Amino acid sequence: MTCDHIQERFADFLTGELDASARREVQDHIAACAACRTELEGLTATWARLDLLPAEQPSGRVRAGFYEMLERYKENLEHRSLARRFAAWWERASLRRPAFAAVAAAVLLVVGVGAGYGLRGGGGNREVATLRGEVRDMRQTMALSLLSQPSAIERLQGVNYTQQVDRPDNRTLAALVETLNSDSNVNVRLAAVDALYLFRDAPGVKDSLTASLAGQTAPLVQVALIDLLVEVREARAADSLKALIAGGQLDPAVKERAEQGLKQLI
Amino acid sequence: MAPTDNELMEAVKDGRVERLAVLFERYHVALFNFFLRLTGDRAASEDLVQDVFMRILKYRAGFQSEGRFAVWMFQIARNAHVDHLRRRKPMLALDDQFMEPPSPDPPPQARLEAESEADLVRRALDRLAPRKREILMLFRFQGLKLREIADVLGCQVGTVKVQVHRALKDLGRIYGELQGGKVS
Repeated sequence: MTCDHIQERFADFLTGELDASARREVQDHIAACAACRTELEGLTATWARLDLLPAEQPSGRVRAGFYEMLERYKENLEHRSLARRFAAWWERASLRRPAFAAVAAAVLLVVGVGAGYGLRGGGGNREVATLRGEVRDMRQTMALSLLSQPSAIERLQGVNYTQQVDRPDNRTLAALVETLNSDSNVNVRLAAVDALYLFRDAPGVKDSLTASLAGQTAPLVQVALIDLLVEVREARAADSLKALIAGGQLDPAVKERAEQGLKQLI
Repeated sequence: MAPTDNELMEAVKDGRVERLAVLFERYHVALFNFFLRLTGDRAASEDLVQDVFMRILKYRAGFQSEGRFAVWMFQIARNAHVDHLRRRKPMLALDDQFMEPPSPDPPPQARLEAESEADLVRRALDRLAPRKREILMLFRFQGLKLREIADVLGCQVGTVKVQVHRALKDLGRIYGELQGGKVS
């Protein structure tokens, strides 16, 4: 057997993957061949030295991140299986009662849009969705905490945080609406108008903005709200504008803007 | 008796995804060390570990229980690492990134002497070509057989043997150089 043939077996030799007879062949060869013996000794020494490398420990971030990801994945799975069960039930129900189907279809549409909203990204982008979800939750928690602070600067920061959230949840949206309606500081309320403009397409936001107009007293906020409602072409806001104008005691600039906005809306 | 890796992964595949936690506890340190030796970057290695487990969940339906879980996992780990390199240097061809020399100049002789043998091994490994480093990591620390490493790397088992041999030889030479000239 040539040196090349023997050396081909060195890797197996080191890992103990050689059977007894092949191992003996290697040993017999190196007993007689100094070059191969030196080669194998060198490899064995290096092989053994690799054992000196200590195993490094990752930080706690890895474990925390993993368990959080796993929890989210489980939640998503549960939502999906719920949606599947509902779809199967609907199919059976609608086959039995065609009249029921129309109503149920409307409900399903809403559920579907909601589920799609929550689970956007599908299987292919789930990891991205998971990560986004994590970041979103962190920002929202931060924002909610800041919005309840006594300092106006911190509440402003809180509003700004919400603007960095991709799709805020109802709790965050409700906190923004609450800030818009009752924050004592005009600047914070104005910032809330801007933030809610970003989330105007989330369910209920346009209604909240429309309803908020009646309760606002600061001209700056009133004008900002009118601008926003006109901008998003919220037809239902026409009634609110009419009520505002009719209510009297309105700053002339606000009144003018409201009248102008009314023309743009109808 | 503790469930095998494959039994756990089968459960994960069937929807009992919480079983992945056991596999995480078994493998995350090994994966972290694998990535750490490849990248030399702790934070990136931690992210890569996370990435591997995300991919395992994402592709869980594709797990074939005929193969060993660890082989499948290291295939995923390699892909994650390749994507990491792409993200890091999108302008370079992948081969160029992989072949970049990881060799800072060796410190002065005086400092060398103070270094422990383990430090020397680590530095020698860092200077080894990345592909050779990778194969040694899989070979030495992950308890994979030559046949399994061939599966992970997608090549012939003969190729793996030759590469392991060359990698060890190179590593021995670099170690000798770092040690002070004498080639082992």
